[in-house]
Order: sequence, then C-alpha cells, then structure tokens
Amino acid sequence: MAAGGGNQPPQIAPYRPYRLLRTLTGHSRAVSCVKFSYDGTSLASASLDKTLIIYSSATLDTIWRLVGHSEGVSDLAWSSDSHYVCSASDDRTLRIWDAHNGECVKTLKGHSGFVFCVNFNPQSNLIVSGAFDYTLRIWDVKTGKCVRVIEAHSDPVTSVHFIRDGSIIVSGSHDGSCKIWDAATGACLKTLIDDKVPAVSFAKFSPNGKFILVATLNDTLKLWNYSTGKFLKLYTGHVNRQYCITSTFSVTNGKYIVSGSEDNCVYLWDLQGKNMIQKLEGHSDTVISVSCHPTENKIASAGLDKDRTVKIWVQDA
Amino acid sequence: MNTMIIDPLQGDFPEVIEEYLEHGIMKCIAFNRRGTLLAAGCADGSCVIWDFETRGIAKELRDSDRVAPITSVCWSKNGHNLLAAAADKSLTLWSVSTGEKVARATLQQTTLLARLHPSSTAPSICLACPLSSAPVLVDFNTGKTTDLPVSVSVAGPSTASHSRNKFGDGSLPYTPTPATFSKNGELIYVGNSKGEILIMDYLNVHVYGVVSVPGGALIKSMVFSRNGQYLLTNSNDRTLRIFENLLPSKGGVKALEKISKTLVGVQEVVDKLKMVGSKCLVLSREFQDSVTRSHWKAPCFSGDGEWVVGALASKGEHKIYIWGKAGNLVKILEGPKEALTDLAWHPEQPIIVSASLAGFVYIWAKEFAENWSAFAPDFKELEENEEYEEREDEFDLMPETVKVKESNTIEDEEVDILAVDKDSALSDSDLSQEELCFLPAIPSPDAPEQQEKYLGSSSQLEGCNRSRSPLSEEAEQNVQEENPGSSLFVGNSAAEEVATDGRVKRRRKPSEKGLELQAEKGRQPSTKKKCLAKNRKKSRGQENCAGRNEEPVTDEGN
Repeated sequence: MAAGGGNQPPQIAPYRPYRLLRTLTGHSRAVSCVKFSYDGTSLASASLDKTLIIYSSATLDTIWRLVGHSEGVSDLAWSSDSHYVCSASDDRTLRIWDAHNGECVKTLKGHSGFVFCVNFNPQSNLIVSGAFDYTLRIWDVKTGKCVRVIEAHSDPVTSVHFIRDGSIIVSGSHDGSCKIWDAATGACLKTLIDDKVPAVSFAKFSPNGKFILVATLNDTLKLWNYSTGKFLKLYTGHVNRQYCITSTFSVTNGKYIVSGSEDNCVYLWDLQGKNMIQKLEGHSDTVISVSCHPTENKIASAGLDKDRTVKIWVQDA
Repeated sequence: MNTMIIDPLQGDFPEVIEEYLEHGIMKCIAFNRRGTLLAAGCADGSCVIWDFETRGIAKELRDSDRVAPITSVCWSKNGHNLLAAAADKSLTLWSVSTGEKVARATLQQTTLLARLHPSSTAPSICLACPLSSAPVLVDFNTGKTTDLPVSVSVAGPSTASHSRNKFGDGSLPYTPTPATFSKNGELIYVGNSKGEILIMDYLNVHVYGVVSVPGGALIKSMVFSRNGQYLLTNSNDRTLRIFENLLPSKGGVKALEKISKTLVGVQEVVDKLKMVGSKCLVLSREFQDSVTRSHWKAPCFSGDGEWVVGALASKGEHKIYIWGKAGNLVKILEGPKEALTDLAWHPEQPIIVSASLAGFVYIWAKEFAENWSAFAPDFKELEENEEYEEREDEFDLMPETVKVKESNTIEDEEVDILAVDKDSALSDSDLSQEELCFLPAIPSPDAPEQQEKYLGSSSQLEGCNRSRSPLSEEAEQNVQEENPGSSLFVGNSAAEEVATDGRVKRRRKPSEKGLELQAEKGRQPSTKKKCLAKNRKKSRGQENCAGRNEEPVTDEGN
C-alpha cells in the first residue's frame, strides 16, 4: 500500500500532508472513541478498559483519568462549554464527568441495553443517547432525569447527533435505517434510508446543519441533503464492513472528510471532489474513531484492541 | 434550514394541555424573545426562570427582604435582563445570567404592568402602568420618573400631575391606563378611560396623534403583534379590537411629524391630533363573545401574528378563545376549574402557556399525531386523489438508463457545509450576536448515598413521553415490561453487577464494538428481551441472583 502522501488534485494551495506527531498509550484495552473539546483545549478518549482519559490538547499530557464505569465505554461527548464530558458504557449507564476536576457528577440510568452512542445538544441542557435496547433516550442534564424515550429502531442504535440549533436529532441503526426526529416532541420527521442492508454505522450533521454524513457497512460514506432526500457525494476507498467507525468534517484548512478504516488507516477525502487525498498509516488495528481539532490542523485517531493507542497527526506549517 | 422538514403546519394553534409546571404560586408569565426560557413571577416575591426545552427550572431570582407578590414580568430584548414589578410598589431589574439585582426603583403606586424599552440601546428604561394613575416612564440609571399624558382635553394635553381631574370628565378613580412601546420603542401608545389612544414619542413625551376607539369604552390593555403591524386593544365594553398600524416600523417619529406638517391648516389642536391619529391606526377587526358577554383577560397575538387569543376568567373559568386574524373563531380551549390569571403565546411554536389562580402554569400544545409518511423515505402524502398519467416509455424494457444519468449529475454539485442561513423570522439584526438564549445547565451532583432515593426518582420514567416507530412492535412489549424493571437497576449495585456479569457470560465475548454487533445480529430480538425481563424480575429478590440467572441463560440455548 502507498505510504503517507496522496494524490495531488488541482487546488488553490498545494495539499500539505498530515504526519504523525505523537502516539498516546494510556489505555490497556481497545480505544473506542476520541474527541477534541469544542474550545480545542482538551482531548478525551474512551476505552473498553472502562476508563476515559482527558489530555491537554497542546501538550498531550494526561490530565485526568475518569474511573467509575463497570464495563467498557463505547462513546463520549463534550458539552458545548467544554466543561463536561458524557460517556456511554456497556454497563447500561451514562456518566457525566466534570472535565475540570475529573469527578463523576451524574449517572444516568434507564437504558436496558449497552449504551452505544451519546451526544449533547448545542445548548448542552439535553443529552441524547442510543443503545442496544433499540431506543433513543433524551436526558435532562441538570436533573439527570430521562425526559423522553423514543422507540426508534428495530436493531441497535449506532449513532445519534443533534443539529446545530438542537431542534432535530439524526439516528442511525443496524436495521439499515437513518431517521430524523423532532427533539421537542419525539416525533419521527423523516426517514432518510430504509433499506435493510447495509447497516448504518454512523450519521452526523454537517456544521451548518444542512447535510448529513452517513456511513454504511458496505465501505461507503455518503453526504445526504436530507430535505431533498438525495445524497450528493459518495466517498469510497476505505474498508468498513464490521465496526461503527466515526467520520468527521475537517474545515480548518480546506474542506475534507476524515474517516477511520478497517485496514488500519485514516482516510482523508476532498469534500467536493470526492477523491482520496491522503491515507495516514501507523495504527496496527482498525481505526475506530477520528476527531478534528476545531481550530488547528490536528487530527486524533483511535485504534482497536491490537493497537490500543491514540495517535495525533498534524499538518506541517 | 432544518425547518423545511419540520411540520409545515407550524403556524397552527394548540389543542390540549400537554404538561403543567409547578413551583410555588406563579402569577404572571413571560417568554423571552426566542421562547427558550419562560419567566414566572411568584406570590412570594421571587421570579422563577424555566428552561422551556427541558421543562425544568433554570434559575430562581430571589431577594430575601422583598416578599410582595410579583404582578408583572418582562424580558429585555437581548434576554440578559428581567424586569419584575411587585405589589410593594417596587420595580426590580435582574440580571438573568448572574441572578443578581441590577437596579431597583420604588414608585408611588403598585405597577400592574411593566414593560422594558424594546431597543437594546436603552435597556434601563421601562414603562410602568400603575393601578390607578397615569403610566410612568422610569429610567433606572438616573432614577428619573416621567409621568405620561393621558388625555388631550380642549385646554391642551394635560399631564397626570396637574389635577385630580386628570382623567377628564369624572370617570372612575381606579382605572388602569395601559401603555405600550411600539416595536422599536420610538413611540409610546397610551390608552385612556375615554377610549382614546394617544400616540407620543418616548424622548420628548410629545403627543402626536389621538385615535378614538369606537364605543368610547375604557381601554384595559393594549399589545402589539410581534412584527409591530397590528395593535390589539381590550376595552371595557367586552370587545377586543385589532388596529392596523400604518406607521413604518422605523422612523415612526419622522413620519408623524410629516403627517402633522401636512395638516398645518387645522386650528383646533384636538382635531388635528385626531386627524393625525387616523392616519396611524385603522380599525380592522372586532371580537366579542356574544353569548356570555364577559370581560376578556390577557389578550395577545400568536408569535407569527396569525392568531389572536383571549381568555375568559371572570366566573372562575379557564377558557381560552383563539381567532384567526380574519375574525373567525377557530377554537375554544377549556382548562381546569381554576381561574386563569395570565396567558402567553410561544414566540415560535404553536404553544400557549397559561397561569391559573392555583399557581400552576399549564402548557397547551398541538395534539401529537404520528406522521406515518415520515417512516418511508420516498412516501409522499396526497391531499386528494390525483390522476396518474403514464409516460410514453413507462412500460418499455429499458428504464434504468434514465436513473443512472440523474444520480451522476447530482454528485457534481458544489456542497457548502459551513454557510448558515439567517433565521428570517426573527430578523432584528442589531442584536442577534449577544442574545442570551439559554442558561448553562449545570448537572446537580449525585450523592453516593442517594441510591435508595433513585427508586423514587426513576419511577418517574413511567411518566416519560414515548414515541414509537411502527417497525418495532416487539419493542412495545419491551416498554411495558420495562416499567416495573427499571426501578431495579438502581436498587442495589451488587445485584446490578451480578446481572451484568450474567449477561456478559452469556455473550461469550468481550464487549468490543464490532464483535458485539455480530453477536447481536445472530440473535433474535424477542428472545433477548424476554431474557432481560426475566433477569430483572429475578434480581428483584436480590438473593441468589447468580444462581438463578444461570437458568434462563441455559434455557435460551445460546
């Protein structure tokens, strides 16, 4: 396989490839999720070793290790003010942690299956979570009460995300459907995809809330315009058949789609041209999660059990 | 933006009580500009701010030495400040984000209605309408109070400080004179006991025009629609009237001066004022309840100005009437047997909030009807039968070529993922940057001893609103079984761990994402659920959980 540098499509500025900056080895089991905070100061990672680690994004030192879950953690989310982290775990609970002192502030109980995905709303007064009990639950952050249960799917829910004004939620599931829900009433507003195969492994709104990036377990990433119900862009070249690999938008220096892959690489595609720009190699197992720093050209990626590391990639200035 | 797929009938009106809020005795309510927060003034002198999205309390504004009931609350336009008028003749300006008092003023009479100046450049100026004297303009910064003129008699406009006969010709002494700012705060409209509306500018307090409300009855309240184009008046003759505002929303003072100049020839001051007034407001509709002929309470417009709502509360009832702007009565909402004290329509959603004498705040919303067409991606609902015309080549054997071409052209479009559409409904561009839309939600910490208390709190899960997807009928079964079971999760952590251990053993695999999903796919959903239910019920006994859990595990035959 080709190393590092990728194709050079005609662009205004020549593409500067990402290179590996650091490898963080804090976890003793597979890392399931990695996310930068919204203010860019911290990085959080969650692992099947039942803990989360918060690093400083500048020095990459470990600041806190969040211990408390009794089973592995599958997903994490930052609040908008970057003060709280919410984690979703196989012990069927979610925990809200204070990122400033590493304490667990709240435990949200109610799901009857492994909690698989979690996200705050932009106002950060609500949390939405999806679980193996096929439901979405919306929780009130302040009281920890479950405000709403949505019987969303007929298979485990793999991904949930609020839109930028918090009014609607997109959810993807193993039953092959991707649905949009009204956050206030819990009503289903639209079904984007409804084929039984392939399973939808990840769904996320674009920063402006007009498009949804959907990953399906047939090695495909699609960018949908959900109001028209048609997909606009198709990204392929990576391998995604088994795991719920997260992908994201990189907008700090040109617009790209970044995703992990089961061939142990991080893929970058040009958003408009759909061509693969770079393949970052270095992990020794599936790259399950990627996150882009909000302001700097930095990508964090997490690898599964044979790898157990978080790698930080930067673009040379 | 996303509003394209949200129910297109957004402009409709509510039909049923969805929920109620309880916190002490709440007497008056007001939404902030975007409807994300609801402020309620209580009988014990405090103000409660509800986060409308979570229906939880976001903040409480309390001043320990003031305990007089709050009579009126009003938000500033940028949402940072809240004005509260209390029965001890005081007006308090609070900062919402810090919960601190910013300013306080004491007037000579208790204020029934207080309004902050709508422009963000003068947030410290407010209009107070006391119980029985002329409205007063209060400046919190300087402490200055200015009485506003309430009538234009033959001798010229008289201000309240002149004589006891300030209301003109011997009308009742305790008459409230309502006043309201125009949309941008340049003008003040004052309604008096003779059924006249005086239009004056707020800087010089100079009366420009007078409008006579037909019927000449005392005006009890006046409120503008959100876009400032319509004025709703509530008069003592039990009639609600809508006036169309002919003045432009900006530069109203200049327009008034222009109109005055064109009427230079008119000698009589009063006649001139009336002619100017007639060019500013034009009567458009009247509403009354011809059956019971009762007084209306708290009339207002809907957020988009399409509906007018008024409440009947005189006989201890809780009835809300909704009319379309054209004058047709569309709905009567009947609430519980507690008299209604205040009413507010949500600025953006079809939701009405009403406060009752018992202190509860009821939330009225549209009846939730499942939109079945949302579950199928290509499904389009038709209003009526449509004739289907076939294409010439509909039944030809080569239709695929057409489809392929379509998908290719779509993919080449430029996609913009960063540009955000401005929200046109609330398009006051001078302020949107600094607006306070929500208060940060700080999770209240759980104490470790609170595990037993959870039994109480988690039973509230039964009250959760649930929505279903029709595909998961088996999930319905799970819901019913979940209720008794949910309280167990929190009971004893030991039992919980055992339960999870049991399940983990059953899985035979460590909890890695992909491997789990593979295992899940192989299993039938219904058996898994029954298993869960059994596990929970058994561990309720909290004895020999490990032993008992083994039985259903082996029976399932994994």
